[in-house]
Amino acid sequence: MDVDWELIAFLILSAFEVIGSILVVVNKRMVRAAFWLAMTLVTIGVIYLLFLSEFVFLIQILVYAGAVPVLFVFGIMLTRRKIMDEPPTEAAP
Amino acid sequence: MSAPLVPNLFNVCEVLTLAIVWIVDQILYGLASVIPPLTGLAQWFDPAYRDRLLLTPLAAEPLIIVITWLIAVTVIVIWATLFNLLTMMWVERKFYSRLQDRYGIMISIWSLPFWPFNRTRRPTHRGTGYLQNIADGVKLLQKENITPRNADSAMFHISPVLIASSTLMIFAALPWSSGFYVANLDLGILFIFAAFSLAPLGILISGWSANNKYTLVGGLRAAAMLMAYAIPMILCVIALVFYTGSLNPLTIVRQQERTLVSLGPIGIPAWYIFSPQILGFIVFSVSMMAEMERVPFDIPEAEGELVEGWTTEYSGMRFGLVFGFKWLRMIAGAALITILYLGGWSGPVFTTLYVGGVPVPIVPEEAWFLLKVYLVSVVFIWISWSVPRVRIDQILNIGWRKLIPYSLATILIAAGSIAWGVWAVG
Repeated sequence: MDVDWELIAFLILSAFEVIGSILVVVNKRMVRAAFWLAMTLVTIGVIYLLFLSEFVFLIQILVYAGAVPVLFVFGIMLTRRKIMDEPPTEAAP
Repeated sequence: MSAPLVPNLFNVCEVLTLAIVWIVDQILYGLASVIPPLTGLAQWFDPAYRDRLLLTPLAAEPLIIVITWLIAVTVIVIWATLFNLLTMMWVERKFYSRLQDRYGIMISIWSLPFWPFNRTRRPTHRGTGYLQNIADGVKLLQKENITPRNADSAMFHISPVLIASSTLMIFAALPWSSGFYVANLDLGILFIFAAFSLAPLGILISGWSANNKYTLVGGLRAAAMLMAYAIPMILCVIALVFYTGSLNPLTIVRQQERTLVSLGPIGIPAWYIFSPQILGFIVFSVSMMAEMERVPFDIPEAEGELVEGWTTEYSGMRFGLVFGFKWLRMIAGAALITILYLGGWSGPVFTTLYVGGVPVPIVPEEAWFLLKVYLVSVVFIWISWSVPRVRIDQILNIGWRKLIPYSLATILIAAGSIAWGVWAVG
């Protein structure tokens, strides 16, 4: 039995990537969306590794997975007025 | 040239795997005498039977190769955490206690409750204190894992996993000698930097998800600092690549093994710290201290302002993970400095003994490497317990207005010294 392991790995990775990128768009909480963006970018990097381009994989991890989501999270935290869920100060009627 | 103690980690682990498979096979044969259908499975694992059936040898089976790789990774992880992490924590606690003129941790082996010998006459707190870290770890394991109210629970629990796994990923590409490594990558140094650069996202998410203003401020500060200080580190490596022409750690160390100049009987080795890259070494070390969040740069967990920084809300072993893995990052950083600038595992040549035809080095490469890594770490500890913490504006000034121009200058120096042939490329 000949199993094409590369094809299986590619299908699993692309499933992760598609689900991750859908979650980036759908998610209500912006920081979670940034986390899913990081996962999407890492899976894209691993697909590069599958194509035997090691250098592009490492640069993808270094720049896109390491720096870009952090930049997004900084942007979210610095622009929104309220970033933490605060407990209600008075009891609801 | 000194020889490594472990000539090839994969081969050593293969012997280990085959021994384990042999033991499992004997158990299977024993079970097969009771349950006959198991005979075929037992014969599949039997090397003699495979020979008779002209099957491929057991070591070439994909299953055995996968198990061997898993054992090799486990060996490196246990070596890094259970030996080096505990030893480094012990060294730090003893060393800063001495700097503060006290003894430090002194738990002795006699304080173990199940220690069988006469405990009445033995002092329980006059030992070396190595067991104190294990006792602290057991205490943290027993504690409850508390999630704060209104915290983002999934993110809160996934960020220690992110931090810990990215830190352990460093050790996949970090060689401990010319034989003791998991993977020999052509771009090993770049891989280590990629693994280092994944941590700021985990720190930022953990700071945000705990829903506490102190962790949020600590996480923001930590991410800003780690991102800022990764730039001079990578620029210094770019300058070093002018000399090495490679990003493979084994190649970089092999270039530093020759003698630069002989002063009488003492030969100065061609380490890159003795090259014009001395400025790069200083910039790299300072940035590495910031990357490890050690005291002159520990603004992310400034105890006076933020309670414990971004680790405030963690409890139990999650706190142990995010707290203890800082030492693991320190070991990785010191090992990186050693490989890049201090000649890695090259050391003075001693003779090798031949025990039954097998060469056994008297002082193996691993010992030289560990000696250098621990010396660099002790210097870091020494600095961090001697100087006060710098303010956040000073940190930004040091990072962006001092270290980055200096690291750009190292690139100019490297290019110039190569162009005018000051340093012969090894």
